Amino acid sequence: MAGMSSKRLQKELSKIQGTLPPGITLVSAPDLREWTMDISIIDNPIYPPHETYRMRFSFSPSYPIEAPEVVFVACTSPERKIPLHPHIYSNGIICLDLLDSQGWSPVHNVESVCISIQSMLAGNSKAERPPGDAEFVRSNRQRPRDINFLYHDPKRAFAGGIVF
Amino acid sequence: MSYLADELKEKGNAAFRNGQYIEAEELYTQAVQKYSRNPLIFTNRANVRLKLQRWDDAVNDCLKSIEVAGPKTQNNKAFYFLAQAQLALHHPHEALSSALTAYDQVRHPLSPAAKISPKDLETFSSFVLKCKKAKFATRDRDRLRRQGHLRAELEETLESNKQRDLDAISAQLSNQELGPVEASERNQEILSTFDTKIAELKTLFAIADPTNHKPREIPDHLIDMITFEPMHDPVMTKNGHSYERATIYEHLKRSPTDPLTRDPLRVEDLRSNFGLKAACDEFWESGASEWVIDW
Repeated sequence: MAGMSSKRLQKELSKIQGTLPPGITLVSAPDLREWTMDISIIDNPIYPPHETYRMRFSFSPSYPIEAPEVVFVACTSPERKIPLHPHIYSNGIICLDLLDSQGWSPVHNVESVCISIQSMLAGNSKAERPPGDAEFVRSNRQRPRDINFLYHDPKRAFAGGIVF
Repeated sequence: MSYLADELKEKGNAAFRNGQYIEAEELYTQAVQKYSRNPLIFTNRANVRLKLQRWDDAVNDCLKSIEVAGPKTQNNKAFYFLAQAQLALHHPHEALSSALTAYDQVRHPLSPAAKISPKDLETFSSFVLKCKKAKFATRDRDRLRRQGHLRAELEETLESNKQRDLDAISAQLSNQELGPVEASERNQEILSTFDTKIAELKTLFAIADPTNHKPREIPDHLIDMITFEPMHDPVMTKNGHSYERATIYEHLKRSPTDPLTRDPLRVEDLRSNFGLKAACDEFWESGASEWVIDW
């Protein structure tokens, strides 16, 4: 299995270096383990068009059979904040069924994940954090993939709470 | 005698796991001298000889293992190692046929109760693909060479330089002037420089003479949506989408769902897609001059 992820990522990378949908850019892909992508949102007052958000993708050798780990990261230069969204914790952890081992499918790819997250933000109408954000951020020591998110509606990327 | 041989074989396996390839090879050789009717000892020695880059010896061991095991038994490892050695010796046709034998054997276990190992299937499947690409590249080179093409000549020169460097390392390895780790690092280096040079050469010719050297895209319907590789043994799901058999098996092992619809899906629900397989074969047999990227 070891060869699968690197081959596939190489191909995704050369495709991504060509064209990407508007608002999605590749920041860096130093190796085939961790990539950084920037996204910006058009047409949603919660996310001003000049603000850009940064995501970190980490791939296991079993990618794409296994989901990548995707989190938002904050940094100061250039300035990147964690977008305000009821499914995004202030430490960058995203609660999205697509990124869960149940919801993931190997036909997804980096580009399609970026598009999903972009549209999740574009369609958002609540400028707020998930319930229990402060508590979660303070106490969570788990990797995102190991967290047992409780999805209210698994068909839509919708989450409401965490089972601790 | 077979008892002593087994003991030596176990010692050989232990040495192999520790990366002591030269010692392992010797232990297997002693084992074979004690008892020469166990095909596994030959297969294991073939594997260690692959590590030591003694391709011809590895071929002989595989053939011996296949011969000892007899025609009525399965010996997919021996065929797989054989394919590796043949590919290293630049015999892509033979390598492909050995790799396909290994693949077919793992696809159709002799006893119906035996489970198909998705891991072996995946390994052999990607090696089949590698052989197909090598065969394709060779044929393409031959075509260019027949046209007396400059590029073919340049590629050949680079190829023989690469082979010379690799042979030098093999020689140092067998004289024990080099350790196996260092040897494989140096090999990697030679291979990657070679690949870069070949890629540069192709780019140059593509700029100079786009009609004859432009890479051709592989049609999307021949590409497996999971690995992004061209398929050679496609199977169809209930909703009509096709995937490479080995990759969808691997996916179903973890999650018994259709990758697109997430409906429940089991291996038994999959059907060979012969029409698409024929289209894939046609592509492999076609004269497409180059692939996009490294398809």
